Amino acid sequence: MNIWQVLSSTWNMEPWVLVSALAVLVAYGLGTGFKFTKLSALFITGITIYVLALVSPLDYLGRTYLFSANMIQHILLLLVVPLLLLLGIPKTLAEKALAIEPIGAVMKVLGNPIVAWFLGVGSMWVWHLPSLHESVLANDNLYITQQISFVLIGMIFWWPVFAPVESRRLSPLVSTLYLSSACLGCTILGMLITFAGAGLYASYMTPVDTIGILPLLRGELCLTPGVDQQIGGLTMWVPGCLIYLAASMVTIARWYGAPEDYEISSNSGAEGLLTATQENK
Amino acid sequence: MSTRIPLVPENIKPLPSLKGNEGMLSWVSSVDHKQIGLMYLMSTLVFFIIGGLEALVIRIQLAQPEFDFISPEVYNQMFTMHGTTMIFFVVMPFLIGVGVYLVPLMIGARDMAFPRLNALSFWLVIFGGILLYYSFLTQSGPSEVGWFAYAPLSEKPFSLNKGPTYWALGLLAVGISSVSSGLNNIVTILTMRVKGMTMRRLPLFVWMILVTSFILIFVIPIIASAFAMMLLDRLLDATFFTPAHGGSAILWQHFFWGFGHPEVYILILPAFGIISEVIPVFSRKPIFGYSFVAGSTVAIGLLSVGVWAHHMFAVGLGNVANAYFSLASMLIAIPTGVKVLNWVATMWGGKIYFATPMLFATAFIIEFVMGGLTGVAIASAPINWVTTDTYFIVAHFHYVLFGGSLFAIFAGVYYWFPKFTGRMMSETLGKWHFWLTVVGFNMTFFIQHFLGVMGMPRRTYTYHDLPYWGSMNLLSTIGAFVLAISVIIFAWNIIWSLKHGKKAPDNPWNAWTLEWYTTSPPAVHNFDLVPPVRGRRPLWDLAHPDQLDEPNSKVV
Ligand code: HEM
Ligand SMILES: [Cu+2]
Repeated sequence: MNIWQVLSSTWNMEPWVLVSALAVLVAYGLGTGFKFTKLSALFITGITIYVLALVSPLDYLGRTYLFSANMIQHILLLLVVPLLLLLGIPKTLAEKALAIEPIGAVMKVLGNPIVAWFLGVGSMWVWHLPSLHESVLANDNLYITQQISFVLIGMIFWWPVFAPVESRRLSPLVSTLYLSSACLGCTILGMLITFAGAGLYASYMTPVDTIGILPLLRGELCLTPGVDQQIGGLTMWVPGCLIYLAASMVTIARWYGAPEDYEISSNSGAEGLLTATQENK
Repeated sequence: MSTRIPLVPENIKPLPSLKGNEGMLSWVSSVDHKQIGLMYLMSTLVFFIIGGLEALVIRIQLAQPEFDFISPEVYNQMFTMHGTTMIFFVVMPFLIGVGVYLVPLMIGARDMAFPRLNALSFWLVIFGGILLYYSFLTQSGPSEVGWFAYAPLSEKPFSLNKGPTYWALGLLAVGISSVSSGLNNIVTILTMRVKGMTMRRLPLFVWMILVTSFILIFVIPIIASAFAMMLLDRLLDATFFTPAHGGSAILWQHFFWGFGHPEVYILILPAFGIISEVIPVFSRKPIFGYSFVAGSTVAIGLLSVGVWAHHMFAVGLGNVANAYFSLASMLIAIPTGVKVLNWVATMWGGKIYFATPMLFATAFIIEFVMGGLTGVAIASAPINWVTTDTYFIVAHFHYVLFGGSLFAIFAGVYYWFPKFTGRMMSETLGKWHFWLTVVGFNMTFFIQHFLGVMGMPRRTYTYHDLPYWGSMNLLSTIGAFVLAISVIIFAWNIIWSLKHGKKAPDNPWNAWTLEWYTTSPPAVHNFDLVPPVRGRRPLWDLAHPDQLDEPNSKVV
């Protein structure tokens, strides 16, 4: 097989992916009245990437041959897809949902930045524990759980920064701290994986070569287990972090774009002069 | 009530004379941010002269091929001490010190949030400097292992002398100092702004100090722990960085550059802040794209922490890692480059007035762009393999550090000297200083790009008489002496102006930030009253109530 044959023959239309995508789309349509807007475009893009990440060769290669493909899939599902979905939810819909007692209460807990941060960064760390990763590859149900948890936890993680309802968002400078510390968390993990040396995830060392492409990958593409693992680690580290960084730039740009709220001076002395801020003694 | 007898008399005069009764005591014991700031500046001038003399010794040794003005050991000591001094005892404490002086004034506060911590930070720098320079008195002299002290060279058995131990101890003291100033700045800026001075109206200099402070408190602990580990290795036979005993020498490089690359932004961001204050005032226009300059600084701050491996392309991290880090490093050039455009756009169409501060600020833009361009070039791994450890790198970082940070520092000194002292600096001497600096600087360092490409390694004691090498190096050495003359003029200008300079009014440059509202020099408590802040240029708004920068802002 050459590379194009691999890429065209390893699509895998798993029913659960299509069904879940369709169900979410229908629910979204019911909530928003099936109108096509800028927001719904974001939402649909999110769902499309979700489907592509799970049915395209990325999924097949990631589950059998290449750790790096697996990592790209994880980044898409944990960082990209949930962000697009969240950005696609209209404010009114979110307000209505939050008014419903149990949802509001649950989001109050999950939307707490500390909880959300630990869920987001924690899921990255936990799912990449080598032993857990091996079990995921061996067990289909666990695998499905992992993918869905990525998307859900991803949405929780982004909530404090991009919640559709502004009052639930952190202030821009705190958002930057929230995101940059998350970036640090994933940098450390990425670094560990990159520099750990080949064979951290045993099944990628000697994959079962069902479709006979191992010589192609290892030979022509130079994707030896060591290189493969490095690409994976670095993908989490560099592009992964850049997503957080870009997001914090967006919050800062929004902040500067918004009109200044007039938290201004109260007249005290003559001509509106103020006393200088005193030392905190 | 118990009556407390103060140990030290409270200060009444802004700049107590050293000759007066308890004059010395009132400086040494001061917790006033202005006095501490000035002490920072004066000590960095002393360190600057020491570091400069070390550079001259290096350049004399390199003036001719196969010269032996000094021994190879002394040569190594000179470049190690020169680099360490310039980075940790000149540029860093200058920028922190000028921040300590200006931040409270610019935000309308009476002092830093923690005045005593502020004094501690300053005295730790002095303590660190004494520890570092004490190594000259030890039997085998100071450290010879370069400012980055790569393991295992800096470890036993390769460096049995005491030099690296004092080096690490001195820098550890400076590290503690930097973290505490970082915290002090952050708390001051976040909590002590006068009403109306919102985060989006901070003077850009204050904003840069804020971002720099965050970098400080995140990355200095990395290197401080590495120093501690190095000391454990050297003194207690631990083996963190000695491969022969199961340690890892590469680990030191990761620690060092994990700190070292963000460090270069610690050295340049406050300089950007100075430039962003000077250029608008001397172009008589508000800064172009305030929010972009501020926002992109955050991007630089965050990115800077993630790209250190570009100092390690030659280590053999693997092609994949090299590719990722090349790309990420080049990304940093984008927010940096657009800042340059902001400054140029601010000058564009402005009524530019080339007083000495503006001359240095303009030259800063040109020299810094030059250094930035070579930076992007060497961030590409294949180019880096050719140029690393050559004089090309030396040229690169002198363009960013001297052409960048130091030019901004000079601009800042000429700009704020009237505020600091109540006297103007001499413009004539200032112009001499400026032109000699530009000529000397480019003469010394431009030619080094070519030497580097021709293969002259850095940190080399001497070189063979290859075609042109001798004359090119001689030119560089002559340039260094021109620079030395310019520094003498600068120092003389300071000393002369302190006594004989023209008396400075409160706001000699017609600037717009709050520090110019108070007297020159400011009173001990900074301000009696602060004008209402209703925009980014409070003094402009005060003078032009009909042309407010933010016409919709109201005073509640
Ligand atoms: C445009 C952004 C920049 C890029 C892409 C860049 C890139 C690089 C690279 C790749 C190296 C490693 C060269 C080697 O050792 O082989 C380097 C060295 C260096 N850079 Fe930059 N640089 C940039 C800006 C700066 C700035 C703003 C400063 C300081 C204010 C700076 C200071 C230094 C120093 C001190 C070194 C030498 C370290 C040493 O080996 O002792 N650079 N730079
Ligand atoms: Cu660097």
